[in-house]
Amino acid sequence: MSRIYLITWHLPNNIKNTFHNVRHRTLQKVSLCTSSSSSSDDDTKLQKKVEEKKKSKEALDKLNKLLLTMTEDDVSSKTKLNLAQPTNKRQKKLREKQDFKESKATPTETLVNAANNVAESIGGDVKQTQSELLMKLLNVANGDATVNTNLKDLVKGMKIDQESAQGAGLSKAQQVRQILQEQSKAPRRKGDMAKPRSKSAKSPKRDVVVEKISLFGSEPLGIFSPNQNDLTEGVVNKTWNHLYDKDLKLAVTHPPSNYFQQMILWTEQKKIWKFPIDNEQGLEEEKKVYFTDHVFLEKHLEPWCPLKGPIRHFMELVCVGLSKNPYLTVEAKKEHVLWFREYFKDKLELLQETGAIQETDLGKLHADQKQSEH
Amino acid sequence: MMNISKTLLRRGLPQANITSNILLSTATIDDKIEIPKRIPRGPTDILRALESTVGRDPTAAHYKYHDDPYLIPLSSSGKRIFAMAQEAGRKAAHWVRQEHADLFQHREADPVIEAFVPPMVYTEESEVAVADLEKLIEMRQVVDSAVVYRVLKEKNVEVAQELEQGLLELLCYQNCEDGVSEEFVEERWFRQASKGKEFVKKTWKDGDLAEQIFTKMTPKTPESYCAIIQGMSKYRQMDRAVQLFEEAQKSNIPLNTNTYNSLIQSVNMIKENFDMRWSLLADFLTQMKNSNLKPNLGTLNAILYALSFMGNPKRAKEYVLQTLAEFKNLGIEPSLGSWYYVILTFCKERGPVSTILHDIINHLEDKEHQIRDLKDTHFFVTAMEMARHHLNDVALARRIDKLLNYGDNYNLIGDSYKESVYFRHYFALLCDNLPLEEFMNDVYFKLVPHIYVPEVGIMAEVLNQVDVNGAVEYIPKLWSDLIVFDQSHRENLVDCILNTMVNNEQLVTPELTESFAKIAWDIYSRSINEEEGRVHRLNLTGDLLGKILILLVRQKDFEKACKVMDRLDKNQQTIAGVPKIEALALFVDLCIEEKVPSRGIDCIQYCTDCGFPEANSLAVRLHKELNLDEVFLERLTKVVGDVFSTS
Repeated sequence: MSRIYLITWHLPNNIKNTFHNVRHRTLQKVSLCTSSSSSSDDDTKLQKKVEEKKKSKEALDKLNKLLLTMTEDDVSSKTKLNLAQPTNKRQKKLREKQDFKESKATPTETLVNAANNVAESIGGDVKQTQSELLMKLLNVANGDATVNTNLKDLVKGMKIDQESAQGAGLSKAQQVRQILQEQSKAPRRKGDMAKPRSKSAKSPKRDVVVEKISLFGSEPLGIFSPNQNDLTEGVVNKTWNHLYDKDLKLAVTHPPSNYFQQMILWTEQKKIWKFPIDNEQGLEEEKKVYFTDHVFLEKHLEPWCPLKGPIRHFMELVCVGLSKNPYLTVEAKKEHVLWFREYFKDKLELLQETGAIQETDLGKLHADQKQSEH
Repeated sequence: MMNISKTLLRRGLPQANITSNILLSTATIDDKIEIPKRIPRGPTDILRALESTVGRDPTAAHYKYHDDPYLIPLSSSGKRIFAMAQEAGRKAAHWVRQEHADLFQHREADPVIEAFVPPMVYTEESEVAVADLEKLIEMRQVVDSAVVYRVLKEKNVEVAQELEQGLLELLCYQNCEDGVSEEFVEERWFRQASKGKEFVKKTWKDGDLAEQIFTKMTPKTPESYCAIIQGMSKYRQMDRAVQLFEEAQKSNIPLNTNTYNSLIQSVNMIKENFDMRWSLLADFLTQMKNSNLKPNLGTLNAILYALSFMGNPKRAKEYVLQTLAEFKNLGIEPSLGSWYYVILTFCKERGPVSTILHDIINHLEDKEHQIRDLKDTHFFVTAMEMARHHLNDVALARRIDKLLNYGDNYNLIGDSYKESVYFRHYFALLCDNLPLEEFMNDVYFKLVPHIYVPEVGIMAEVLNQVDVNGAVEYIPKLWSDLIVFDQSHRENLVDCILNTMVNNEQLVTPELTESFAKIAWDIYSRSINEEEGRVHRLNLTGDLLGKILILLVRQKDFEKACKVMDRLDKNQQTIAGVPKIEALALFVDLCIEEKVPSRGIDCIQYCTDCGFPEANSLAVRLHKELNLDEVFLERLTKVVGDVFSTS
């Protein structure tokens, strides 16, 4: 990991301010009360003191409540991230422009809009009725009916005609193509007319009428009763369910389409460190051990080590060395020390000969030996 | 409050007033202070937040491809090959690590990254403990866990009941074999799942370790019955599954909902006709109810799946609606998989048209959907297919597309095969129904080639539309696309493109004429130069060569036209068919312009050989325009006979 993130969490500003305010207010009230008490009678003084005590108590209660709410359980995390989304100013502008444009409608456009409104108010297939109305309206202007049947085949068919009947001049195919060109280059609203025509032409058998089917409206099967609260799903196959959930997750895991997704994948596969980065990831076991256990190792010397002499000296150095070692666990350090105990026990004769160990100390070692034998 | 203080400061009021104002304002705020709860963040939340700001850029290739213009694949086969090659590299790395595990023993990372450590190999002689078996089951290593289990059994090590149950479940789920590793994402993405909807054949391994463990297990717990029945149903071993089910019923062993679900799913394999299947299904449901089991989403999907190919479409539809209502009352919301089955039931190919898709999309629109069932990924493909074939409705297709692109719903597209089928249907539908300009600008140029590469059939439709609309300005782009998608050898596509170019003479500008000539020459040279080696080769027919000739002649490129003419002339035996007479006539005209009568005479010779009656008039014209001298006239007379006596 190239970067280390420092995440500090602090009380948000408004909470700090409210704290200050509450404290300020209580102090103020107290100060006001104390200042006024000196100038009033004793009875009223007592009453006021009681009142002020009550008020300060209330203020303190409020403070305590605040602190309590802060230490309560956190909100259960939702899987969905609620992020602030910026407003799309460009789209808004575009929409305003479009509205403005639409307000300046030409007569034909008003016709189309009117037809649309009529079709919508009638209901049923909006596009179909709209196109029929428009056809009726606009055909009056055009005169001859526009091509109604399957356009593509007609044009294709005419192409074949052209090849067999040569030198026909500006053939029908080209005429039709010109008409089509005009239509395709015409503004998009006329494209609506092309759609229902081609739809009906494409599948002449199927006159699609959208009839609304109520998805949940029919009579239920009547096998299960709606009251399901006291029922369970039976015995739980833990491994099976776990495998099924894994499969579900894999079904939506696609090759990552940007670097962030790749990092997410790697984090889940435990190949990279988790955010927020802290150096002690993976050292959960160590967190449970308090630091004094690492540093104060003399307690392991107590039962067996003589209090003076070269052995003690040596063992104290060993303890100092181990206490400075950050790489061993507490158990490992304890084992080191105890290994030395066994070692010295084995070499007891040699130690006695050289005089490194005194009789008094010997007693201690033996005592410990006896203890350990028990 | 802060704003008040700022404005006061700006006005330059003395300090005391400011504080008094602040105090006044604090005295008026509510006593109840709401501190928002801290939102606990997971380890990947910040990455997800950043990721949500990055959309898909249709002008760029997918992230997995190397960002070098030379190395970006643009054809569908290219994309597959490049991605699989990358994956093959990963697999090679895995293999090297496996082979030379002794070289990979260093543990440089702290904490240790388990994924980089060479995997343990378990053989018959390995020293194993129960903890190993636990870990292997957790890591979903089927074969290894089977080996470890056998070793433990041989050494008579006590294996806990729970652990054995876990092993049984793993074996049943995976049918005693390992699946594709989770690491190989590309392989999963490109795995073309077979479309065996109806009768998947039995793949359960009889007598394998799963069954052995089950039979040896004493006493037979409900969990073990559930596991083995579910496993057998999943892999279609229905006889044994039903047998075990009846055994469990007799011994009054309680089963669970998922077991019943798996049995309901296989109802169509157990019985043969509609009535028997439905009665068996209803039987299972009543038994479930009598055992006081709560149905779940799996139950709903199992019933709908069974109904989708149970037979008798009319009654199946009724039952589908009834089932939906029933589960609505139980408070179980159908998943996308359920809607997939509903569409299958209602929109059958040979049945009446059903517009239930509209209602379904109304219900699902503008919502983000999660995957809740494995079949959810089939929804979008089938919905688009129905919108195209069954209903032919552009608005509906647009709505489905909008739903797909809403939030994270794109994840539900499934795999690459489903994605390509989805876009194929979408493209075809829009191509047929939208005006060409709109289609090209909004759909074609946006999605092709990085998001979707059209297949041959779809390109043919697009070319047809261009032809019908006479929109010849798109031809050069479409031809370059054909080359890039590796479809330039398809005869139907080349035919279509040549037709379009030839037939729309009056619509072309001089630049277009030039590009058409280039395209024609490109087609010609491709068919010539790819003689050896290539599997796909385009064999140009006489007709196509004639069209190429026309285009070259329009560009007045005499040299190239002569080459084509030569090829036509010399390879009369190998080329199928002959060009149209217009092509030859145009060529003769060009010869007249270029004042090369010998070429003209050769062409007229070819005409007579092909048996065109117009050869004579061509000869006359040639003589008239160029005023041929003796030698040429003699040659010409030999070819066409004496038609010059009148001139």
